Amino acid sequence: MDEMDLPQMKKEVESLKYQLAFKREKSSKTVTDLVKWIEEGVPDDPFLNQELMKNNPWVEKGKCIIL
Amino acid sequence: MAAEKAEIEKLKKECDGLRKQIETARKAVNDGDMKGASSGVESVGRVQLKKRKDLKGHLAKIYAMHWAADSRQMVSASQDGKLLIWDTHTGNKLVAVPLKSAWVMSVAFAPSGNLVASGGLDNMCTVYNVKAASPKTLRELDAHTGYLSCSRFLSDSEILTASGDTTCCLWDLETGKQKVIFTNHIGDCMSLALSPDQNCFISGACDSLAKLWDVREGACKQTFSGHTSDINAIAFFPSSNAIITGSDDTCCKMYDLRADQEVLHYQDSGLNAGVTSLALSSSGRLIFAGYDDFNCHIWDTLKGERVGVLSGHDNRVSCTGVPEDGLGVCTGSWDSFLKLWN
Repeated sequence: MDEMDLPQMKKEVESLKYQLAFKREKSSKTVTDLVKWIEEGVPDDPFLNQELMKNNPWVEKGKCIIL
Repeated sequence: MAAEKAEIEKLKKECDGLRKQIETARKAVNDGDMKGASSGVESVGRVQLKKRKDLKGHLAKIYAMHWAADSRQMVSASQDGKLLIWDTHTGNKLVAVPLKSAWVMSVAFAPSGNLVASGGLDNMCTVYNVKAASPKTLRELDAHTGYLSCSRFLSDSEILTASGDTTCCLWDLETGKQKVIFTNHIGDCMSLALSPDQNCFISGACDSLAKLWDVREGACKQTFSGHTSDINAIAFFPSSNAIITGSDDTCCKMYDLRADQEVLHYQDSGLNAGVTSLALSSSGRLIFAGYDDFNCHIWDTLKGERVGVLSGHDNRVSCTGVPEDGLGVCTGSWDSFLKLWN
């Protein structure tokens, strides 16, 4: 900010006006949606569902695997 | 001169006013936080992963890695002057790309698997065809006036770059020319991530800000503050409604795009190292963050708690990546090795 010249400052003002105009939604709704979205994906997340890690591509086949 | 200075002062005051208005607008919609929303969510418990493979081959610090869309191949970049493409199922090296400049800082795989891009202190992004009999240089994208810190392909004909010259750029690979230049950061751009629908991307910079951009229009749509040092790593949530950032200030933060503000941060008094890289599990419930303390720490995204650690590297973890199928995580380090965990 300290070394901006006139054209840069004008652009900064325009950019801030544009960013201010963004239609913000209530966080009570957006955060709840986020939690719901993540929770729905957990059963399909291999790190959180051991069933999905059964065909582990990085483990040598043909050996006993301690689960 | 004096008239211009006065005009600049007036505009500075206008900017300060606008920033205050943005903060007011954010406070107005801040009626619920993540702690509250996730209080009913079950903990994930301890996440303990095993190291499955050590990928040895580089002779110097690894600076970057990127998974191919097939979740099997992966490309890594080291300051030994080489890119290596690995088959992670067998651990074999498939292709070695010698670099003109050894000072590489970024690498990317095109979704098609045909091309890889790299760049660093040479200020250029070089694109290689790796499906040819031997790797062939396709384009040298030369217009940035600072180092290349990150690059991501949209397709075989377009690529985004982030640079130490504080700008990001969208290039046309058919012509080798810049299509859109994204200017708004006032510090070196360190990382970028493309939204799943490719309409937006986010950038993290040394001005401690993260910015959301419209790929086609070039405008900065939203700016996220809160970090107190360089943002080195950034990622989109698979749902596209949130982003995660990692910084030298030792914190990671989640920013909600719809509410336009930070909703949770990931910080531990026992962790005093900067975050270098991060990747999300397929649901977004876990964050794998690489740190300067030689570890990759695992965070529960919703609870803000540390739930695991990947230890084994003998130097800073510089890059982290989860493939599209979500079946594991790769860490790359200054110790010259890559490790696969799941």
